Amino acid sequence: MKTESLIDMLARQAGPAPRAMAARRLTPAVAGGLVLAVAGALAWIGPIPAELYADPGPWIKFGYAGLLAAAALWWVARLGRPAAPVAAPARVAGGVVVAMLLLGAAALLSVPGDERMDTLMGHSWLSCPVSVLVLSLPTLAGAFWALRGLAPTRLRLAGFAAGVLAGAVGAFSYALSCDELAPSFVAVWYTGGIGAAGLLGALLGPRLLRW
Amino acid sequence: MNHDAARDDFESGLKPLWLRAQAGDEAAYREALRRIAVRLRSYLRRRMQSLPDDLEDLVQETLLALHLQRGTHDPALPVSSWVLAIARHKLVDLWRRRGRQEALHDPLDELEDHAMPVAAEEGSARRDLGQLLQELPEAQRRAIVLTKIEGLSVAEAAQRTGASESAIKVQVHRGLKRLAAKVKEEST
Repeated sequence: MKTESLIDMLARQAGPAPRAMAARRLTPAVAGGLVLAVAGALAWIGPIPAELYADPGPWIKFGYAGLLAAAALWWVARLGRPAAPVAAPARVAGGVVVAMLLLGAAALLSVPGDERMDTLMGHSWLSCPVSVLVLSLPTLAGAFWALRGLAPTRLRLAGFAAGVLAGAVGAFSYALSCDELAPSFVAVWYTGGIGAAGLLGALLGPRLLRW
Repeated sequence: MNHDAARDDFESGLKPLWLRAQAGDEAAYREALRRIAVRLRSYLRRRMQSLPDDLEDLVQETLLALHLQRGTHDPALPVSSWVLAIARHKLVDLWRRRGRQEALHDPLDELEDHAMPVAAEEGSARRDLGQLLQELPEAQRRAIVLTKIEGLSVAEAAQRTGASESAIKVQVHRGLKRLAAKVKEEST
């Protein structure tokens, strides 16, 4: 087939271009991932006692994970469109992480020196990042599905952003089941779980997002 | 003429056509794709000096990709950046498929792109999309042939085949996606 004939064929009755493709794919992906992760956290680990919500601890986690998820969602939507600028969402996502690290460091410094290690490690430093990573998997699958319907041209970065998005959703859900209250714990171990999800995404991106 | 002026010319001519095409204007879409094809040929020729026989195939593959992904263009952004980002992606992918790792180090930027003489004429494609079309599942092939080649309206095609109008649209879209996937398989 000549290129000229191909052009005729593509144009004929093409109709209007589909609109809001990123929103149409990413909304169900994130909503579905969040529902599965919340259900997983509550069924698998169980909810924290209601009185813990009187402490700022859980709210710091929700705020951190929620803001990071919003920034990463914006980032993924941009990475799904060829030539769209991605610096602004990347900076916002990075800024949220840095703010959490600073908050964690400040909180840690206000604790007496000999208690700092116990505060930082809590009683669940090992299971926390693993749980966040596991709870991120439904959203990771959904975000990859969404990106496969879009046109990412930077596959590793798109995979990483999808992983951060999934990790933030996983962290948000895990906060329902996590009774650690120290901001320094959140800054290190939640971020660790989110980072692991990001790395997993970056690893899978070039393999799964090709088109 | 300097580079920026050449690019601005291309963009300012293309953008209004493209916006009408995105809103559903078929004639504007055809003209926009023609201009894009010429631009793609000169963009890719310069970067495919080691693979000249693949040039027209990659132009066709990129056009097919542009069509399938037209919903990802943001009207606030230049059409040409969007087109070239996709062309570059397809080019890198072709090199990767050919195992030409060293080619990834070739300069991919826009330097002197417009200094190249514009070669508007169409080369010959090695791969025949018409042939690949025949290999699609029957319902998809039929929907494409009726609406996109014979030019029947979706309603007429639905009547002719007994399928619903939305089924025809879905078959056309799936068929073109399948066609793009076959194109990739073939050039591996």
